[in-house]
Amino acid sequence: MDAVSQQGTSAKVIPFDLNAPFLLFPVRHHSPVCSYQLIKTIELYQPEAVLIEGPENANELVQVLADERTTLPAAIYYYYKDKKKYISDEGKDYKCYYPFLYSSPEYNALKAAAKMGIPAFFIDLPYSEILINTKENEGLLKGDEQSYADDSRLASGQFYKRLCEKTGIRSFEEFWEKYFEIEGLNKTPEEFVRAMHTYCTLTRSGENEEKLKADATLIREQHMAFNISEAMKVYKKVLVVTGGFHSLGLYELLQSGNIKPVKQHTVPKGCTGCFPAAYSYEAADALHGYASGMSYPYFYDSVFLKVTEQGSPVGVYDEVSLDMLTRCAKECKVKDLPAAISDVTAAHTLMHGLAALRNISGCGIFELFDGVTSCFIKGEKTISTAMPLEILKKLATGDGVGRIGDTAHTPPLVADFESKCEGFKLKYHSAVVQEKDISLFKSERELEMSRFFHRMEQLDTYFAERLKGADLHSGKDKSRVREVWRYRRSPQVDSALIDHTADGFTIEEACRNIFSSRLNRGSKCELAAQTAVDCFLCGIELKDEQQAISDIISSDGDMLSVGKGLILFDMLYNLSRLYEYDSTSPRGYLEMCFDRLIGALNDLADIPDEQAGDCIEILKRLYALVDTLFGEKRDILYAALFELTTAEDIHPAVLGAGVGLLYAFDKKNQRLAEDIMRGYLNGDVEIKAKGAAYLRGLFSASRDIVFGDNDFLRMTDKLIISMPQEEFMEILPNMRLAFSGFTPQEISRTAEAIAAVYGGSADSLLYREAVDEGLFMFGRELDSELSSAFERT
Amino acid sequence: MEQFIKPPVEVRYKEELDMLRFADNGRKPENWVLSPKAVRTFILGGEVMTKDGEETISRKFYGNDALVERAIITLAGSRGLMLVGEPGTAKTMLSELLCAAISGVSTNTVQGTAGTTEDMIKYSWNYALLLSKGPCREALVAAPLLIGMEKGIIARFEEITRTPAEIQDSLISVMSDQILNIPELGDDGLVLSRPGFNIIGTANTRDKGVNEMSGALKRRFNFETVEPVKDVRLEKEIIIREAEDLAKAGHIDASIDTDVAELLAVTYHELREGRTENGTVVQKPNAVMSTAEAVSVYYQTISHAWYLGGDKVSLDVLADNLLGAVCKENKDDLNTLRGYFRTALKEKGGSKGGNIWTQYLNKALLLR
Repeated sequence: MDAVSQQGTSAKVIPFDLNAPFLLFPVRHHSPVCSYQLIKTIELYQPEAVLIEGPENANELVQVLADERTTLPAAIYYYYKDKKKYISDEGKDYKCYYPFLYSSPEYNALKAAAKMGIPAFFIDLPYSEILINTKENEGLLKGDEQSYADDSRLASGQFYKRLCEKTGIRSFEEFWEKYFEIEGLNKTPEEFVRAMHTYCTLTRSGENEEKLKADATLIREQHMAFNISEAMKVYKKVLVVTGGFHSLGLYELLQSGNIKPVKQHTVPKGCTGCFPAAYSYEAADALHGYASGMSYPYFYDSVFLKVTEQGSPVGVYDEVSLDMLTRCAKECKVKDLPAAISDVTAAHTLMHGLAALRNISGCGIFELFDGVTSCFIKGEKTISTAMPLEILKKLATGDGVGRIGDTAHTPPLVADFESKCEGFKLKYHSAVVQEKDISLFKSERELEMSRFFHRMEQLDTYFAERLKGADLHSGKDKSRVREVWRYRRSPQVDSALIDHTADGFTIEEACRNIFSSRLNRGSKCELAAQTAVDCFLCGIELKDEQQAISDIISSDGDMLSVGKGLILFDMLYNLSRLYEYDSTSPRGYLEMCFDRLIGALNDLADIPDEQAGDCIEILKRLYALVDTLFGEKRDILYAALFELTTAEDIHPAVLGAGVGLLYAFDKKNQRLAEDIMRGYLNGDVEIKAKGAAYLRGLFSASRDIVFGDNDFLRMTDKLIISMPQEEFMEILPNMRLAFSGFTPQEISRTAEAIAAVYGGSADSLLYREAVDEGLFMFGRELDSELSSAFERT
Repeated sequence: MEQFIKPPVEVRYKEELDMLRFADNGRKPENWVLSPKAVRTFILGGEVMTKDGEETISRKFYGNDALVERAIITLAGSRGLMLVGEPGTAKTMLSELLCAAISGVSTNTVQGTAGTTEDMIKYSWNYALLLSKGPCREALVAAPLLIGMEKGIIARFEEITRTPAEIQDSLISVMSDQILNIPELGDDGLVLSRPGFNIIGTANTRDKGVNEMSGALKRRFNFETVEPVKDVRLEKEIIIREAEDLAKAGHIDASIDTDVAELLAVTYHELREGRTENGTVVQKPNAVMSTAEAVSVYYQTISHAWYLGGDKVSLDVLADNLLGAVCKENKDDLNTLRGYFRTALKEKGGSKGGNIWTQYLNKALLLR
């Protein structure tokens, strides 16, 4: 730190004059010491107005943030839709957060101003204007998710690296904690502000003007300086709270007196705006992915709250780190990790010893981590043994989620979300993952809760994830009556909800509009049916979109897509009464799909192997429907199936299924089925292989054909034993699939039939251990050798 | 001054220790020769003000500075210090440095082996005196643990996990109660630890691991994992510095070729990490690829050049020595090494500094 001070003498010094018309107070976002010294400075300076670095289009939200009912972490969510393509030709949407914690100096500036009854303003360019003036991949255009409170520049360049080397410190964060956070609490506001200005000025000296222009720093400072000079015309004493990096730029501009206003672009109404949003400690962590203040935000928030509570900074770091250490030990115990009282004592002693060795007046987060590393990890430090460190990281980061007190400014979808959560008694204020078990048909409320979770899924909020329950999209586990959901509120939930504000003011309305636009854009029957499943799960009936769905069904030329749609609509029709959903629409769509398929069934004849299974399912479903809903269409289906089986280049599995269904219609068709199979058996190896696929289709559509007079079993046997080993391995998957639909009873009957052919008992076939493949091959070869030897003699 | 192959740390760095002692005005735990701050400066380097002005203390341990700080503070407390890690990561060196700086002596050591017995750790008897005078203090031969307790100095226990578990556990009572009972001496047999006494254990994770230590003993130690040097430039510096010291001690007046040191540093680093600097994955050999091994290979090579060849280091000999160091236990390591050289030749053969790399790798590929 001496090195900093020495170099600082050559750097420009920004005055700390309590009588001057403006006072620049440099901060680091979420820094407790900055907040502590800021509050003291406000008391000393007694400003008439407080100006804060932050996009000025959020000025109306100042009251919301300062509101007593607002609990932190909270953030201002800014969005900008680049419809006019000022930024790029892609016309993308942009968003960012400006997070506030209890330890944030900006938040404390707002609170102090409110307490003193003086105005507080944000003075930076509007969010849209910052983006427009930023070059690609710079500043707020770096990466997808950005925080306005970006402090990464404090640790950029070579300056801090040399400082760390010189002071023997591991990282910028450790350097910052030691020299600013902990030792800064013992300084006077003037000493602290001078140290901040010196550090920030030296950091800035490593940046070139080109870079400052590219990331919009210069234009922002011009705008902020203009706002400061305007405020100085109205107020006698103005306190300016900005990131320390800007202080020098602002000071030079204000000294020059030549400050022109920044010409701003016209942004169409509704393309930019901001909302207050709940935020989480986890997202506020600088280690979260994008630098936004300090790492371990809960730890530093606790430090600041402790300082405020006891009215003095003496011993706060020691108290908070001891508290964190004991909580870590407790958590380790819960997770069955060794952490005895003696370990806690040893870690505590070590932390204090380290603080003394490092000349620090209190134990900070790094001493805390060192204590846990030495005393809680028993043995070699590996991923598995370092669990106590992970626990500590989690605790120091925090898992709380804030709440916006003044609901008048809450975005409508967020308000609806919160009211629904309240209604369902969901724990939405915690960032800890929660689980909810729903019995779908126990009560209307349970079904509504499931629908709410599904709706949140549709809005891409990642609020809830279904762990167990029916999967209607794939038709699996349809009969499940319970759902288990895991849910967690994160800032992403709010961000997604705010993004969907344009779709509607309630979650239901937003979902309805999303489904509607999806259907109006769609052209595939299968996708339309999937959307219908989504609507079904969300409990949203689409009366106005019936025509759109009908149009899709009639115009889709892909019969496989229509067939898959038919299966889904049939499922929805069958489940609609159970789910208390209107059943008339699915029935109508079902019939339309049925009619379209019967009219063009031959389109399903020549299909690739991977679609054969789907095609078989569609044919079976058609047959099932004439047995139930559409009995009057039985003859038409029979004729269509007959025509299908005569199609050229028909896939053998589809042929099998078609013939199987014809057999189901009329047992006389067994002969047809046998003739086709004989044809396959008489062919070469390639044709025989198709026989396996044929059997798969046949057995899946009509299993009882096996039990007729054993002909099919004999033919199957012939097929198997006539194949050389390699070819047999190729047909094996199809053979397995052919028998996969058999019930246990049918398997027993099959075993009996095989036992009757080969001798032995059905039980031994079913339960005896399979013969080793190698041994079987050897036996078979031996058999063949002996047979030829006998033939020769 | 009398010459030794490897003088103890307190002899080797006597001047620095004297300077630190002179300038030391920090708080000291009882019986410590230097304060914790001065111990840190001794190990991690720094400036110190002496009567002749400011002097530089050399850095002796590279890598994790916080680990050294934790180790110093641990030794000032009631728990022992256990240094664990891969072989060749300078655990022993660190423990010697700590002992020399804290107690002024680094030779109060037990070397753990499968044959280590309790009397090698605690005490044994001079049987001639025992027979003539009976069990008395005069007939007692103190072992490092007893010496440490009585003098208030640190006892080092090298490769602690190589000793049988029951022998290791004999430390538990001493570490818990800080008392050693010698029943043969009757009422005079109770030895209490003096302030300054502590134990530094080392254990490598390759042979018998720390998992074999009992939970009770583990609880009496703070563990520090010493990791291999991650920075290849730092590894190069260490190889040069250590090889220079060894050459000086061996009266080999050869200059150190920094390019060759870099070849070795990169080879060892990439084989240890299983990845080249370009990100290509290479197979890791079974052998330990420590920096200490690299230093040894380099020293062998310059010795060869000094005694048998010209002054210049031969890349043939370097490759041969590398083979000898890597292929110790498993013959598959030869193939692993050749696979690495083929990959490295593709990547480094034509690049900057390609000449020496190409020569080295081509020689290395001829290894059988």
